[in-house]
Amino acid sequence: MNDAPARTMAAAPRPAPAKAMGRGAGFAAGRSRAALRAVLLPIAIIAAWQLAGTNGSLAGGVLPTPDRVWDAWVMWAFGPKGMGLNPYSGTWLDNVLFSAGRVAQGFVLAMIVGIPAGIMIGWSRAVSGTVDPTIQLLRPIPITAWLPFSIAVFGIQDMGAVFLIALGGFYPIVVNATHGARDVDRNWIRAARMMGASRFEVLRRVVLPAALPAIFTGLRIGLGIAWTAVIVSEMVAVKSGLGYVLWDAYYVGRMDVVIADMLSIGAMGLLSDWLIVTVEHWVLRWRRLQTATR
Amino acid sequence: MGTIRFREVGKIYPGKEPVVALDRVNLEIGEGEFVALLGPSGCGKSTLLNLVAGFEDMTSGTLSFNGGPVSSPGPERAVVFQEAALLPWLTVAQNIAFGPTVQRRGRAEYEPKIRELLRLVGLERFADALPSQLSGGMRQRVGIARALVMDPKALLMDEPFGALDAQTRMSMHQLLLDVWQSLGTTVLFVTHDIDEAILLADRICIMSARPGRITREIAVELRRPRSVEQLTDPAFIRHKAEIMAEIRAAQKEHA
Repeated sequence: MNDAPARTMAAAPRPAPAKAMGRGAGFAAGRSRAALRAVLLPIAIIAAWQLAGTNGSLAGGVLPTPDRVWDAWVMWAFGPKGMGLNPYSGTWLDNVLFSAGRVAQGFVLAMIVGIPAGIMIGWSRAVSGTVDPTIQLLRPIPITAWLPFSIAVFGIQDMGAVFLIALGGFYPIVVNATHGARDVDRNWIRAARMMGASRFEVLRRVVLPAALPAIFTGLRIGLGIAWTAVIVSEMVAVKSGLGYVLWDAYYVGRMDVVIADMLSIGAMGLLSDWLIVTVEHWVLRWRRLQTATR
Repeated sequence: MGTIRFREVGKIYPGKEPVVALDRVNLEIGEGEFVALLGPSGCGKSTLLNLVAGFEDMTSGTLSFNGGPVSSPGPERAVVFQEAALLPWLTVAQNIAFGPTVQRRGRAEYEPKIRELLRLVGLERFADALPSQLSGGMRQRVGIARALVMDPKALLMDEPFGALDAQTRMSMHQLLLDVWQSLGTTVLFVTHDIDEAILLADRICIMSARPGRITREIAVELRRPRSVEQLTDPAFIRHKAEIMAEIRAAQKEHA
């Protein structure tokens, strides 16, 4: 367990570009020293936590020590299924896939609606005047406040979770896409019009690519909210997934599973963020070249 | 083909204190003529160009291009922008191909033309470079190639070399002179640089600010074909003295 978070923490903030690796020994040494510094604190916390416990738990007996969490995680992930004594045994992957599937569905929905909506709001004053006030009015309602509404409408079903995820992801995506489309250099639009581009062509070939950096910012924020939304809705409105296990394990006093579950959620959040950043790096290649030459 | 005619054109920007950007401007530009609009910032020279480009609407008067009204931007009136305004995510070749692409012209038709233009502006080796990898002068060469690929009837240039250093500017002047002398397109060239106006233009319209109007027209008597060496020509010096006197007189009038 020690090396798993260490690796992700070192890699997450700045995935090393292949080019950077060849910049000489001094640079490589600097990087490994930075990686070492990054893992110091997590290792220290885990060590202190382990040492503070006796007989596998901290004072009061509520919190298990890291070794117990690790054992529970291994059992949850690799244990045999269908054992009456441990209902979690061997169900880790299923639950991860349940949650990730819901996040993916809700998030894709949020993108399909949020990106075009944001571009249109940023591009057209008429659309902005009609739609934006409603969005701004609904946006302050926390995603958790939508839970009863969602259950009443969709019942205890996947659709309720997907709805909450889509709604939570939609706001940052639409707001950032709006800003991106609004801040397009006026002369880019003029140049495109001058070259004979129709309004639709301007949207597709100028406004959308110009707004992409802002859209990706929105996607990253939206994805974080999507994970919050899936956990909350699984705790209340669905009977599977990491959020369901989290709450269920708490009820039966399995804090080792609760902590293993929390760490799983964190790892999935990191993984999905890394996915978006990878796509972003590829789509916005032109920007990297830009900063490299300036 | 390529004639521009302003009749009593006025432009007022509304607001709490409306700004009169242009006041009864009359100007005729003939087919293949190179006209420079020379004046201080805020004199409305860019506004005049934007009207021809179709970027802005005028408040009063009439404007015709080739005898017809101007209602929207179009490829027959190609604009070269101050800072080139290239799309940063497209390569040099893709930027030049933007016009033909959105006009749904055949690739077989425009690709040889793009290669030829890249050679003309000296950027053959940079076809696949991004704008951010180019110098300011190179970017503006792309801006010119992007305009020329559309076979425009008029070239509208809004202080295109204002952001360049002196040496680059001189080489751009020579490039523009060469290109224009071989194509013969009508050019409307906005600048605040007296030397540039004399060197390039057939006719210079001097503008003054608040309200923006053309105060004087000067026909440049410098032989064609021109080159940057004529910057020391006696006729050049004479024109420069004349224009500076005109500008000083206008300043005194305002003070």
